[in-house]
Amino acid sequence: MSETIIRTEFLCKSFGKLEVLKDISTQVLKGEVVAILGPSGSGKSTFLRCLNLLERPTRGHIYFNDREITHPTSTNIAKIRQHLAMVFQHFNLFPHMTVLENVTYAPIKVKGVDKQKALSFGLELLGKVGLAEKADVFPAKLSGGQKQRVAIARALAMEPEMILFDEPTSALDPEMVKEVLLVMQGLAQTGITMAIVTHEMAFAKEVASRIMFLDQGSLAEDTTPSEFFSSPKCERAKQFLEKML
Amino acid sequence: MTKSRRRIFTLLFGVMVAIAIVISQNPLLASSVGKDTLRMITSPDYPPFEYYDLGAERKIVGFDIDIANYIAKELGFKLEVMESDFSGLIPALQANRADFAMASMNPTPERLQNLDFSLIYYQGKDTIIAPIGSHITKLEDLAGKRVGVQLGTTQEQSVKEIAVKLPSLEIKLLSKAPDMIQEIKSGRVDAVILGDTVARGFTQSNPELEFHELSSHKPAGGSAIAFAKDSSLVAPFNQVLQKMLSEGEVEKLKTKWFAQKSPTTTSKPAAKGLNLDLRRIIPDIPFILQGIPVSLLFTLLSLFFGLIWGTLLTVCKITGIKPLIMFANAYTSVFRGTPMLLQLALVYYATPQLTGYDISALQAGVLTFTLNSGAYLSETIRGGIQAVDKGQTEAALSMGVPYYLMMTDIIMPQALKNILPALVNEAIGLLKDSALVSTLGMVEILRSAQIVGANKYIYFEPLLFAGLIYYVLVMALTRSATTLEMRLRRSE
Repeated sequence: MSETIIRTEFLCKSFGKLEVLKDISTQVLKGEVVAILGPSGSGKSTFLRCLNLLERPTRGHIYFNDREITHPTSTNIAKIRQHLAMVFQHFNLFPHMTVLENVTYAPIKVKGVDKQKALSFGLELLGKVGLAEKADVFPAKLSGGQKQRVAIARALAMEPEMILFDEPTSALDPEMVKEVLLVMQGLAQTGITMAIVTHEMAFAKEVASRIMFLDQGSLAEDTTPSEFFSSPKCERAKQFLEKML
Repeated sequence: MTKSRRRIFTLLFGVMVAIAIVISQNPLLASSVGKDTLRMITSPDYPPFEYYDLGAERKIVGFDIDIANYIAKELGFKLEVMESDFSGLIPALQANRADFAMASMNPTPERLQNLDFSLIYYQGKDTIIAPIGSHITKLEDLAGKRVGVQLGTTQEQSVKEIAVKLPSLEIKLLSKAPDMIQEIKSGRVDAVILGDTVARGFTQSNPELEFHELSSHKPAGGSAIAFAKDSSLVAPFNQVLQKMLSEGEVEKLKTKWFAQKSPTTTSKPAAKGLNLDLRRIIPDIPFILQGIPVSLLFTLLSLFFGLIWGTLLTVCKITGIKPLIMFANAYTSVFRGTPMLLQLALVYYATPQLTGYDISALQAGVLTFTLNSGAYLSETIRGGIQAVDKGQTEAALSMGVPYYLMMTDIIMPQALKNILPALVNEAIGLLKDSALVSTLGMVEILRSAQIVGANKYIYFEPLLFAGLIYYVLVMALTRSATTLEMRLRRSE
């Protein structure tokens, strides 16, 4: 039995009158690669962004390593976020910093890692995503795919317990999707816990160890990829797969 | 990169502090009050009574200064000479910014209500200056004419008395003697009333003008030394003055200052046009150039502190804490809604009276401009911050970057790039507005030019030269800002 990294109980989120998430209760275990699927507007991204509290849940509870982070007295959100790195759809690299500075900024300034160690670790990570030679380049000089690989290296540099991917390939030109997915696939094999909001069905099928299917703010299916893709239980999931595949 | 930027800021700050220290030790700009020193304040635009010696030493000299020096020496004090506009002399005494004022001041009944005066040490005559051929030689000739007088002088008083008898007389109040001469030359007044000594100088420099002593007119009140009410200095000063008058010391000084030719170069008469002759100011160019560091220092300090203050106000505005937002908004609206000249006068004259701290002209100027500029910049900076992509904040938050680090390392550098053009505009505005501190007696570019003009009884040449300096400085600023912008944009 693997340990639980993050757990939600009756998680709800509303924007004004619009209910985006309805009573989501689930958990992610250490080493799992969870693909979060669903039609647009189903609340996938909101769910993911609730996990590191970029969105404040309206109701419900979130536990990280069995400590409640949604509790009103739980103030040190910044500390927890260091363990829950995020990769964004639009990369959000810091444009005024070089690639290496992007990767090493938070480890040095936030975690207090020794500068030399952070730099050599940063270079090592850039090597892993195939961008070691771009270390001293500014992000504006990179292609979309390269930017996202830097963003992944930046997330890894924090040595997080889990990485949240928010539609990491949706803003990319089609020919660049593959390079990013390959990096993510390699990452999944290292055993790091990942939650990925994505529209890449083939990737989800091949790489994910678990599928969460959200529909209209509810967790409609939570199962293995083989089961989800071969015999989805709910009607909405069937329709969704027909459209996507 | 962040490191090199910090180094630039540190360097800039260091340089400014160093210059500020140097400047604050300049007695013309900051008054160092010691018990062995008497502080005299004057308006050095009235040769030969008080004016700038345009030599390398930038000293205020003249008949009044010699008298003051004599008295101070007799009483065993050192003398420190400070300067201000004529209209700023009385506030300076009341604010205890100076111990006494000498500027050919007449002890009028109005002034005696608020000030104490010494004996009269000089009895001047009033004259009327008008264009040659206008046949205006006495006050009675002014029926139906416009006449210019200096604001707050005894001449203003006497002309107002005449106006009762001559209802068709139109009086125009002006603040400086050189301005009055320009008013005649521009045809906006028909004549002006000035003291005889200055009148002689002006008519030499402006051959199209002539002056006549007003013999029928009752003599002007005479010049005396002004003190704050109940000053303990009046009695000892009078003793020395009495001695100077009886021993012929005053007569000696009169001969020294009034017999010599006025410090002027006469030009050939010209009937029309501005009659410009830039050669007249060539010897004085170094003097005017010395105003540049003062203007620049003032601008840099104001911009620097304005940026800091503006940033703090911005932080108030974006925190989301209600009282802070209300404070920042109210502050901004007050400082944007009132004239800077008014704020400047209030800060300079009210601070000593409210707090007892004798704020120097430079400090008052920088403070006012900082307060004012902060109000404008807070809006600019807020706009710049809000223009930074929201994803930047989210990326920083997702890595656990604390708020202040996020602002200083992630958001502000990007906001700075957004607001750089607006900042350059602010700097240009500050540089040009720095001319306003000339009203507090700071000898920056404009006032240096005015001093040269007053000394030589000329007007346009020094002003044009000052304009040229401002223009060149603004161009240089624009250029360096472009370079900086390119540097900031190298990441694109």
